[in-house]
Amino acid sequence: MTSNALREVRVVGTGLIPFGKFPDQTLAEIAWPAVREAILESGVKPKEIGGVFCGTALGGMLAGQRIMKTLGISGMPIINVENACSSSSSALSLGWLSVASGQHDVVVVVGAEKLTKFGGGTLPLEREDWEVNQGMVMPALYAMRARRYMHEYGLTETQLAEVAVKAHEHGALNPNAQIKKRVSLDEVMAARPVTEPFTLWHCCPTGDGAAAVVLASADVARRLEGKDVRIAASEVTSGLYTDHFRDMTWPELTARGARGAFEMAGIGPEDVDVAEIHDAFTIAELMYYEAFGFCGRGEAYGLLKSGATSLGGSIPVNPSGGLLSRGHPIGATGVAQAVEVTRQLEGRAGAHQVEGAKVGVTHATGGGIAGLDHGACSIHVFAR
Amino acid sequence: MTADTDLLKLINPALVEAAASGPRLLGGACRACGARSFPRAAVCTDCLSIDVETLALPSEGRLYSYSVVHQAPKGWDVPYVLGYVDLPDGLRVLAHIAAPPAAIAIDQQVRLALGVVGTDAAGAPLSTYTFVPA
Ligand SMILES: [Zn+2]
Repeated sequence: MTSNALREVRVVGTGLIPFGKFPDQTLAEIAWPAVREAILESGVKPKEIGGVFCGTALGGMLAGQRIMKTLGISGMPIINVENACSSSSSALSLGWLSVASGQHDVVVVVGAEKLTKFGGGTLPLEREDWEVNQGMVMPALYAMRARRYMHEYGLTETQLAEVAVKAHEHGALNPNAQIKKRVSLDEVMAARPVTEPFTLWHCCPTGDGAAAVVLASADVARRLEGKDVRIAASEVTSGLYTDHFRDMTWPELTARGARGAFEMAGIGPEDVDVAEIHDAFTIAELMYYEAFGFCGRGEAYGLLKSGATSLGGSIPVNPSGGLLSRGHPIGATGVAQAVEVTRQLEGRAGAHQVEGAKVGVTHATGGGIAGLDHGACSIHVFAR
Repeated sequence: MTADTDLLKLINPALVEAAASGPRLLGGACRACGARSFPRAAVCTDCLSIDVETLALPSEGRLYSYSVVHQAPKGWDVPYVLGYVDLPDGLRVLAHIAAPPAAIAIDQQVRLALGVVGTDAAGAPLSTYTFVPA
């Protein structure tokens, strides 16, 4: 989408609950504190909220209404969005467009998910999908990508495990992370296998969570004061279908989305100060370094090893701990990333702050579906 | 492959048939443009024709990648090996690879077989097409 006729949109409030397992709470009970926090932080009055966009993949009907009525906020259009792991980042894009287009001056975007209602194990996938009926599970899809990548580029299992070590070094600094502990390379390697070459530590934990942002026009933001983070690009795309050969070492969906988002923001990968990307499994982080252009193809491990993507490096990736450490309640992830990057750009990320960050990227992609790289991908660029 | 497998419940009978010469994967070929599909497409994804005939696919292919799956929903016999097999006509097929992990390698030639891969809700064996090292 071209941005010529569109208004500037700023993030004026953020809310996030620490991710975890809350089997005894309803989805609305999990989510309302994040929405309340975002509204109170923003300083907007509830009656100023012109629309609500709620992303959840498995939260059931009318999740947005169930959450918002708990706060007594109702009557405005509430749109519920399902797009697998990109549910709330897709909701964010719709919320951005509604403000950018002039439809609304203030909107709330919320992402919420309660995965504990399914018990444990891998995520329930759509049984109508023929690959799922032949035994496909998400960790196996990523594991096959990993195996091929290792074959083509000589990446070893030990090197791949270092991604998990780095994620938890970051997550240990984040009070909102689901897993707040460091893990050693030996622990990653010795954990029980899930889908080889992945052990448990190569996989993001399942759990529950919620996050919310308040978006506003620049006019409203100026009145609120101190709200300087704008959305410089908002991109949603879907995978390209083929039932023929696909290069599984190249996430074409993310690469396409990243190109579009960078073009819209008028920046390149070298301009990014901090990125929250979709590291659902260790290999994903490495492949997305390449898809975003942070390094060339086959060079991702070198970038990781150099320290560039760790806190203190030139392009810290997932300072929050990412999906591997913060957790991945799927529909909540996109907005949680937006909260994280907004706070980074505002200099209030605490122990995992990226000093001086001015440009940040969020990236949520996923959905296991036969014939597509992934079902959906949503990328946002934030700047101040 | 033998009479025994005729008695087994197939996960998706539309994807495979047991011929006298051995199992055959069933895909589709568009009569309008020739595009091939697996599973057989109800509508051709190249030209939108609905005139897609059933076509037996090649029985050998190359293993693009694989994973040994240890954690899966109830009903699957874990661990199992899942892989993508590239057929000579360009189609890619997700399949169970019925071989010990030590005997499996990327880019190896594999051939079609039938095998038991799990059980249904009543505990009866479930079978499907698989690939084994050629
Ligand atoms: Zn056709």
